[in-house]
Amino acid sequence: MRGSTALLAGLVGAAVGLTAGVVARRGYDVVEVRGRSMAPTLLPGDRLVVESRTFARRAPRPGELVLAADPRQPRRELVKRVAAVDGEAGTLELRGDSAPESTDSRTFGALPLTEVRWRVTARYWPPARVGRLGR
Amino acid sequence: MSLSSLLRPRRIVHAHCDLPCGIYDPEQARIEAESCLRIIEKHDASDDKLFRARCIHLKEERAELVKHHLDVLWHDYFKPEHLQQYPDLHETFWNATKQASKVKQSLDLAAARELLALIDTIDEMWKGTGGPGKTRVSGRPA
Repeated sequence: MRGSTALLAGLVGAAVGLTAGVVARRGYDVVEVRGRSMAPTLLPGDRLVVESRTFARRAPRPGELVLAADPRQPRRELVKRVAAVDGEAGTLELRGDSAPESTDSRTFGALPLTEVRWRVTARYWPPARVGRLGR
Repeated sequence: MSLSSLLRPRRIVHAHCDLPCGIYDPEQARIEAESCLRIIEKHDASDDKLFRARCIHLKEERAELVKHHLDVLWHDYFKPEHLQQYPDLHETFWNATKQASKVKQSLDLAAARELLALIDTIDEMWKGTGGPGKTRVSGRPA
């Protein structure tokens, strides 16, 4: 039973992944995680569905998982959790869930809200850990 | 082509630290500080002017390396969580790097010993926050 559940989850994950890949230009995309700073929430090799529609409408909120360009190396994209939002200043702070293994706003400071466009919504791979993400 | 590789996204996101190799060990600083101590002893035992000049020159280089290795530990290895565990962490690094400057400037054996003691305090903090199990590669022959 366990095996067939995993298989089913895998197929669902595969479908989500393929669909998200196809509709990437419509505000959805799929990404793969490297590094351990978001452990245990996200692990290296996890594949995620991300979307850019929400933050076109409203600002990110604390607790949400987001993508942001690395301020020190803009061509690298980071995945982190929003730790705090300062609406007045128009900035937010990012943290890794695994603080000792993370380089985040404690090092590079707050980011402009406009830098954060993608929100993580779900994990579609590995099959055993398929599910919604976000809060 | 497997299902897994078919589904592999091309967009990579980093849940990452500073491209860290993640390898840290206060031993690196200690070895350079031990060099300083031994060089001072050799300097004091010699009458050869040229040899003594070389001692001073090399000791200054080694002391500079101590500062470098301590700085790497301080900025890159230790994190705010560790500071909660060791509230005197900053003070200790401040004292140790100051002490390394002192060793660089002088031929004072006691100063060199004091530097070793401070590095050993940092070593305890390193061990208390993970130590070799976390920041060294295992499998080295004993």
